[in-house]
Amino acid sequence: MKKIKKQSIPGLLGKWQQEFTVFVPSKASGVSQMTVWDGKDTAFLDRNRNTAIPPKANFLPAMEKLFGFRKEAGSYKLEPADGEPPRQLLFGIHPCDARAIAIIDMVFKDAYEDRYYLSRRQNTVLVGMTCTSAYDSCFCTSLGFGPADPVDVDIMLTDIGDTFLIEEVTEKGKELLADAKGVVEATRDDEKKAAAARESASARVSRKIDTGEISKRLPLVFDDQEFWEKISAKCVSCGICTFLCPTCYCFDINDEMLRSDSGERYRNWDCCSFAVYTKMPVENPREEKWRRVRQKVYHKYLFYPELFDIIACTGCGRCIRQCPVNWDITQTLSNLPAGTPVKK
Amino acid sequence: MAISDISHRKRYLAEGNVYLPHIAVIEKIIDETSGVRTFHFNFRDEKLKAEFTFESGQFGEYSIFGIGEATFCISSSPTRRDHFEFAVQRVGKVTNALHRLGVGAEIGFRGPFGNSFPLDYLAGKNLVFIAGGIGLAPLRSLIWNALDNRAQYGNIDIIYGARSPQDLCFKYDLESWEKDSSVKMTTTVDREAPDWQGNVGFVPAITEKVAPSAENAAAIVCGPPIMIRFTFPVLEKLGFTPAQMITTLEKRMKCGIGKCGRCNIGDIYVCRDGPVFSYEQIKNFNSDEY
Amino acid sequence: MTKEIEQKLRDEIRDLLETGKVDHIIGYEAGSLKFSTTPLITGDKADVDRLVINPFIYNNLSVFLRDMCGKVGIVAKKCDARSIVSLIQSQQIARENVFIIGVPCGGIIDLAKVEKLTGLDRDEIDDIVWQKEKAVVTFGGNTREFPAKEVLADACLGCAPSDFPEYDIFIGESESLVAGKDLGRNKIKELEEMAPAQRWEFWKNEFSRCIRCYACRQICPACFCNRCFVEETEPLYISPVPKWQDNLFFQAIRMLHVAGRCTNCGECERACPVNIPLGALSKKMEEIVEELFEYRAGMDKDAPPLMTAYQLEECEDLIR
Repeated sequence: MKKIKKQSIPGLLGKWQQEFTVFVPSKASGVSQMTVWDGKDTAFLDRNRNTAIPPKANFLPAMEKLFGFRKEAGSYKLEPADGEPPRQLLFGIHPCDARAIAIIDMVFKDAYEDRYYLSRRQNTVLVGMTCTSAYDSCFCTSLGFGPADPVDVDIMLTDIGDTFLIEEVTEKGKELLADAKGVVEATRDDEKKAAAARESASARVSRKIDTGEISKRLPLVFDDQEFWEKISAKCVSCGICTFLCPTCYCFDINDEMLRSDSGERYRNWDCCSFAVYTKMPVENPREEKWRRVRQKVYHKYLFYPELFDIIACTGCGRCIRQCPVNWDITQTLSNLPAGTPVKK
Repeated sequence: MAISDISHRKRYLAEGNVYLPHIAVIEKIIDETSGVRTFHFNFRDEKLKAEFTFESGQFGEYSIFGIGEATFCISSSPTRRDHFEFAVQRVGKVTNALHRLGVGAEIGFRGPFGNSFPLDYLAGKNLVFIAGGIGLAPLRSLIWNALDNRAQYGNIDIIYGARSPQDLCFKYDLESWEKDSSVKMTTTVDREAPDWQGNVGFVPAITEKVAPSAENAAAIVCGPPIMIRFTFPVLEKLGFTPAQMITTLEKRMKCGIGKCGRCNIGDIYVCRDGPVFSYEQIKNFNSDEY
Repeated sequence: MTKEIEQKLRDEIRDLLETGKVDHIIGYEAGSLKFSTTPLITGDKADVDRLVINPFIYNNLSVFLRDMCGKVGIVAKKCDARSIVSLIQSQQIARENVFIIGVPCGGIIDLAKVEKLTGLDRDEIDDIVWQKEKAVVTFGGNTREFPAKEVLADACLGCAPSDFPEYDIFIGESESLVAGKDLGRNKIKELEEMAPAQRWEFWKNEFSRCIRCYACRQICPACFCNRCFVEETEPLYISPVPKWQDNLFFQAIRMLHVAGRCTNCGECERACPVNIPLGALSKKMEEIVEELFEYRAGMDKDAPPLMTAYQLEECEDLIR
């Protein structure tokens, strides 16, 4: 294992800046999100709590141009915006967000490769950081990993005071640290400190759910309309839980005319809670709010696992913290009725 | 399980980019009814024009650049590839814009997407086609496909209905099928109408009257959701098993490739695992939203 | 004091359900996070003991009224009651279908302000106790007192003291407010002092963060259109793509649409996940409405809604 003093990090980020656009967690824009490093900010080194906007925005932006179109001599010319994206380094990613990225990778790789998403992914390096102070809304430890686990990152940094313990998780990560100033061998004492830090980080996660019981009950309570109506009563069908969720990826595709003969096609974030999400001229299968709330819970905890063997939730808790009515998915999941087997 | 081999569906990706449409040109426009138009189109790229093919049941995402994209099945048969067809009902922004196009206008096309009617399963069987309104469009592809390979199938029954005589689509096809002695054609309208001498009654009721045999048969049903929901029980009464009943489901779609999330029914995506499903498959969905 | 009020509230509401005077009630219960509350919507009197009243009952519960059937008992602060009256004026709910349970409110504590003052997040604070005109905050062994002006929500600071517009019963006594017409206007003052070009840059920057989650619209009781202009496609008013121009246009139109019906409850700003100061817009809108039409939303249930009624005495110098 290696280590680096926190005071050497700016130098390291500066070196990385020559090759990558370096993103760090920052509130400079008005809301906490991964922001291009300004060369000076170091606040995130000592206090790195999860950002409000998740890092999925670096792979699946809130709006993304797919192609431009132009009419020339009566005929359309399309200019795809699928060129090589700039290389980016995301510094200070939490395990919940790193795992979330790995989860949505699956849908963008599956069947048809989504070039836009995957090329950004390929050109990205993830430098993870342990989460030293979980929110009261966090429940990552129930989803198969912990706030200090080196999951799905290229380098993992564990905070042991004024120093980070470094774990080179992938070859990419190893390469990044070659010739890095200030990186030295860690001592046994350092490693002991790191182990203790990991323990205490996990211990701080107080919110828990029982995914085993949830997987058992969900298939049985799909048709329990009374339960879902009661559960969904206070939801207002906004997009906050979806847009701030690191594993939500649903998108819409829209065209815009910029001039009379040219324009662009974009994709932008969409949300299954919106009333019009599934609306067709002839009918809307999710007209009623309880169906939309049910869809959200099931997609994350049953349908996605059916397709990709993993729950599409990493317990980051953003949905709970930011929901304007404090609708809490862990409460819903912990109160699923026992259910009766449905006769087909 | 995640979908496995769809390599055959990736053949016609423009520059390998699944979101990039091909440019196509409208060659002919037919007014089916006051709200429905059929468009004949062809690809601008000569190579694609010559090579492009698809399977009955598949759909495309058709673009009007600057307005948007919409989903329509390919209503022509893959046995007749001198041009391709789709039918559009005017209901909103994109469909209205499509109806304003003239011959020679350019559109975008992404596809073919989705699964297709199970020709292997249908081979050698008696086919019963049941359709309502514009629901005849996806079936039409399969009907001409079957007629162009007539020897591969048994009896062919077509039961088709619409609200009124003016709402009957593909009247030129109805005429051809009426004249085809190897086809039993039954047309109906929902209510009595002046100058209409044919059947009167809803499609499910007429199906019950025609009473096609379920023996070595398959029923392929497409139309407004309510028509399908009333037709299935009639077919069951006639002895059709759920596996013998095939339909196409419709959902709001955008990407057409199972990524944007919106067309799901439980863990299946209608654009990717469908739109063709048997009633047996539908009964096993882990969601009731069909 | 609050414990007595809470108990009285629970008793009254239990009685309403038991006697069948209402079919459902909407109130507040403890949330799943520290210093949070959440709407309690129920027809079951067993749930009544969960009802609370505290300085964190921020939701404007009138947003749920339109979707409910039968007679509904609703716990209302003064701003919420104004929203209820506004909905009655707009004929979205019938007066006889609502049973308004007024509760005393000395103001809602804005957690974002407390977080800024202490430098901590909500869940790192041990306790916040409201003590008439000040909040006593304990964290990490320290105790600090903050005067009301520094911790109450801007919308509450601007809550002009006037009568509770409409209620069926009132639990306890109206609390005195630390409020005044000039309080809670810091952001507005800042904006008023900017040159137009500067102000435009400010809003351009703010709306570049907007992700079109529509929380502002969904949480607002005045935004009740069955088909919002955002969803119109023929013609298309604004693009669904969250470009700052469309985001700004969306909010500007939304504010204009709710003018005369918005009671400046502050929920839109509180709900916004990217911290856009929407309260400045809604409060300024309310001030303009009062200045031009001498009208305040939601004060008189028999008054016609502002934008659908014309009074001969209205000033016309805005028509050129």
